[in-house]
Amino acid sequence: MRVALGCVGVLGIWWSAVTLAAESRPLTTDGRFKDAPAFIDPAGHELAFVVQETPQWMRAMRLTLADGAVVALNPEWPKNEFEPAFSRDGTWMASVQSRGNLSMALVMRGFPQGREFELPPEGGFCGFRSPTFTPDGKHVYYSFADRDRQAIMAVNRQGGDKRTIIDGPGHANWPSFSPDGRQFAFGSTRHGNYEIYVAQPDGSEVRRLTEHPRQDIRPRFSPDGKRIVFTSGRDGNYEIYVMHADGSHPRRLTNNPERDDYACWHPDSRHIVYVSERDGRYDLYWLEVGDVSP
Amino acid sequence: MLGIGNFKAHSCGGVSRRAFLRAGTALPFAIPTAISALGTPATAVASSPLKGRAKSVIFVWLWGAPSHIDTLDPKPDAVGDVRGPFATIPTRTPGLHFTELLPRLADRSHLFTVVRSHVTFSGGHPDAGTWGLTGFDEKPTAKANFGSIVAKHRGTKGTLPPYAMVGRGVPRDVVRKVEGCGGGPLGSVYDPFLLGCDQAGQVEIPSLKLLDGLVPSRIHDRWALLETLDSVQRGFEADKSNWRQRHLQAYQLLTRPEARAALDLTSESPRTRSAYGQTSFGQSCLLARRLVEAHVPYVHVNWSEYVEAVTPNTDFGWDTHVLNFDLLPDRLCPIFDRAFTALLTDLQERGLLDSTLVVAIGEFGRTPKINRRASRDHWQRCYSSIWAGAGIEPGRVIGASDRNGEDPITQPITPLMVGTTITELAGLDTQARAELQVLDGGNVIHALIG
Repeated sequence: MRVALGCVGVLGIWWSAVTLAAESRPLTTDGRFKDAPAFIDPAGHELAFVVQETPQWMRAMRLTLADGAVVALNPEWPKNEFEPAFSRDGTWMASVQSRGNLSMALVMRGFPQGREFELPPEGGFCGFRSPTFTPDGKHVYYSFADRDRQAIMAVNRQGGDKRTIIDGPGHANWPSFSPDGRQFAFGSTRHGNYEIYVAQPDGSEVRRLTEHPRQDIRPRFSPDGKRIVFTSGRDGNYEIYVMHADGSHPRRLTNNPERDDYACWHPDSRHIVYVSERDGRYDLYWLEVGDVSP
Repeated sequence: MLGIGNFKAHSCGGVSRRAFLRAGTALPFAIPTAISALGTPATAVASSPLKGRAKSVIFVWLWGAPSHIDTLDPKPDAVGDVRGPFATIPTRTPGLHFTELLPRLADRSHLFTVVRSHVTFSGGHPDAGTWGLTGFDEKPTAKANFGSIVAKHRGTKGTLPPYAMVGRGVPRDVVRKVEGCGGGPLGSVYDPFLLGCDQAGQVEIPSLKLLDGLVPSRIHDRWALLETLDSVQRGFEADKSNWRQRHLQAYQLLTRPEARAALDLTSESPRTRSAYGQTSFGQSCLLARRLVEAHVPYVHVNWSEYVEAVTPNTDFGWDTHVLNFDLLPDRLCPIFDRAFTALLTDLQERGLLDSTLVVAIGEFGRTPKINRRASRDHWQRCYSSIWAGAGIEPGRVIGASDRNGEDPITQPITPLMVGTTITELAGLDTQARAELQVLDGGNVIHALIG
C-alpha cells in the first residue's frame, strides 16, 4: 500500500511538473477588466469573453485566435451582456442580459437564422447566472436565485419546459456538462462554503468532488470528459486547478500572486483559456494543460 | 434611549422606524466584549488633543453599501441564512477576522482600525447618502458635506481646489442625486470640484465637458483657452457666477504646471500604477494620493456614480439586492481589496499616512438575513468602516455587532460622529465648528484616536 501511494505521489509530482512547466501566453493585452471566456465554434478558432467596455458597460466580445482580432459579439446590443455560452456545434448561444434595475433576462439565440428566445426577468430584482448548453444543444441549464436560495434550473432553448434541477440548501451555480450528457458538474454551498459536485441531468445522485474550507468554484468539464478544471482559493488567492472527472488528482495549474480565474477548455481538451490578473491588469491567457495523467 | 433623532425607513429589507427604536432602547451603552477589548469602547468627548493632525483627508465612499457580514464583520457562527458562503481569514490584528474576499487588506490590518458599530437613520440610498456625507437628514435642506466644511475652514491655497471629488459625478441612484455632496448652507462655492479618472488613469474634468477635446495635455495657449471659455460662458449667462467659478478653477488646473502635474498619473512608475490596479476605482485612489501630495485638504473618492450593481447604464455599485454572492467575489471585493490596500501602503511608504486621514465607508450595511433572491438588502442598523492615519491608532477594532450583525452591542457610531471626528482631525475643534455653525451636537469618536 505504501509503495502504491508512493507511486501515485511520484506520478503526481511528475504530472504537476509537466503542467506547471507549460507557460501561459496572453491572448489580449489591453488589461481591461474582463471575464467569462468561452469557445464559440467546435474547432476552437473563436472565443467569446466579456470586457469592461465603458464604466457602465460590460460587453460581450469575439476574439479570433489566428490573428487576435477582437470585435463585438453582438454589435447591436447596447447594454450589459454576461457569460456567453455556446452549444457544442456553435449554432446556439445563451447569455444573460441586463434589462432593468437589478433585473436580467436569459437570452438564447440560434445562428445563422437569427432565432431568438428569452426568459424575461421576473418581477422585482432578478438575476440569472451561468447558462450552459446540454451536449445535444437542446436545453440550457442555468443558475437562478429565488426562495432564499440559488438553484440550478433548466429550460429548452426556446425558453420553455422550465424545471428545477438542483434546489437548496444554499447557492448552486456554474453547471457544466460532461460530453456524454450523463452528468454535470456544478458549485454549491450546500455544505457551507462553495465546493464542486456532480449530479445526473435530472439533479439526482449528487456527489461531492472537493472538500476545502476555501472556495472551489466554476467547474468546467473538459470536452473529452476526462477532467474538470476549476478555480480555487485554497492557496490563499484564486488559482486554476484541474482534477480527474471523479474528483481525484487535483493539481494546481497556475501559480500567480494575483488572481487567475474563469478557465474554459479549448475543444481539443489539452488547452485552457483563463483570465489572469497580472500587475493589476486583466487579460486572457492561453495555457497548455497537456494530456490527462494516468 | 439614544439621542438619534428622527429618521425614515425605506429599507428593502423591511426595517421599520419602530424596529430601530426598539433596538436602540435595548442597546447597552458600552458592553465590554472580547472584540471591543482589543480597543476601547467608543466614548464621546467634546474635543481631541490631536485636532488638526490630518493635513489631508481621503474619504472613500463605498456607494451602494457593502455587506458588512461578507466583508469586515463576518459571522461564521451564525445560521446559514445569515452566515453566507465565504470563509473567514485571520488578519494581522489578533482576534480580527475578515472574509476571504479581502486577503490583501487582512495582511495590512496593522495600518488601520475597523469600526463595526455604525448606525444610520435611513434605508434609502440618496437620503442615507446625505446622512453619511453630512451627518444630518436631507430635509428640510441638506447640510454641508464634511469636505465642504474642511474646505471652508482651510480655504483655497494655491491653484488646486480644497475639496475634490474623484469619480464620474455626484453619487446617485437611478432616480436622483445625493443632496449632501455640496456646501449646503456654506454656499455653492464650497461644492466639490469634480474630477473623473478612468481605468487607464486618464483624468477628466467634467466641468469642461462643454469644451470638446480640451484635456490638460492639449492646453498650451492660454489666450486661446480664454477665448474658448468666454465663448461658452456667453451661452450660460443664467448661471454665470457659478459657471465662472467652476471654470476658473478648471482653467487654473489646466494652465498651472503644478496643478497639471497633480493630475498626471503617467508620471507614476508602472509599479505604483499597477499596485492600485487598472480599474477606475484603483486609479482614482492613486489620483487621491497625488492630490494629497499636492496639499488638497479633502479628497472624496467615489466607488461609483450609481449605487446599482447590475443595471443598464450604471457603473456597478455595491447595491447587491441580487447576485450579492457572485458580485462580491467576482468584482467588487477584488477591486476594492487591491486598490484600497495599495492606497494605505503607498501612503505609509511615502511617509504620508501620519498626516493623512483615510476613511472607507458606505451609506449603510446589508441585511444579515439572506433575502428571497439569495442576496442581501439594505440594513441601516449596523455596518462597518475602515479608518487609518492621522492619529488613528491602527490594528484595532472599535465597537462590535451582535451575533448576527443586526445591531451594535456597543455604543452606536452615527454619521454625525463620523463627520465630527473627521473635521476634528482636519483642524476644526468644537469652537471652530460652532463658528461655522456646522455639525451641531456632534461628538468625536475618541476611541479611534491613539
